[in-house]
Amino acid sequence: MEDARLISGVLLYPTGRAVGQFGFSNAADVMSICALTSAINASARELGRQLDGKPFYELYHAGAERQVFMARATAGGQEFLFVGVFDRESSLGVVEIYFAEFQKALEKLLPEKQATVPGPSGDFEGELNRSLDALFGPIGKR
Amino acid sequence: MKSVSQVVASLSHVPGVVAAMVVGAVDGLIVETSAVLGATDGAGDPRKHTAALAAYLYAKVTRASNAARLGKPAFMRLEAEKGHICVVGARDVVLVTIVTPDANLGRVRLDMMTAAKGDH
Repeated sequence: MEDARLISGVLLYPTGRAVGQFGFSNAADVMSICALTSAINASARELGRQLDGKPFYELYHAGAERQVFMARATAGGQEFLFVGVFDRESSLGVVEIYFAEFQKALEKLLPEKQATVPGPSGDFEGELNRSLDALFGPIGKR
Repeated sequence: MKSVSQVVASLSHVPGVVAAMVVGAVDGLIVETSAVLGATDGAGDPRKHTAALAAYLYAKVTRASNAARLGKPAFMRLEAEKGHICVVGARDVVLVTIVTPDANLGRVRLDMMTAAKGDH
């Protein structure tokens, strides 16, 4: 990661659940990034299917100072997403190389299957409020 | 002005050149590449890694050269146990060749620099 000059990165399940992270000090930032990455991945896959007949699995955005790389990784039959931020001192080519090595290392770990998350309970409003409270803190009583 | 395909084809025919590539200077991705001379199916393809790392290295060498107030590097050659990696900058791309130890490096250098000037 240091060689690729990654500033921060998150490994997550496609559902948006974080597996591991580095470079972040705030849990809310990680949750936001996971939610956005999951949504971007879903959109990119569908866009790829419509435009190219197959899903897009990688995404790269070059900003003025920082660059973002997002890609799919698989290990032990489980699919993951990785999103990393790197500076202008590195390059997409170098990050791709180190990501390929990371992918190989991940495969060796043979992670267990993702724990089954219970489905929606039907209490949509309640779940929404609980999620908002978790993200932004509980709202005081009026 | 030669196209990138012509530049790669021309460089790959220089004796001793194992592979020739045109690589994005900023992203390190291959724009055009020749086949790897003498490559076997069992050996991994060295081009993608070489391209990315050579472009990265050239960017660092450019910084070092500028820091030393020498201006832009004209030609970079990395000598290794089993051959050389040669890099020449040409605006937004770098020309990269993987060369055998017994190659005529003068010819490789001249052809690469001529090709790079042709891009201007």
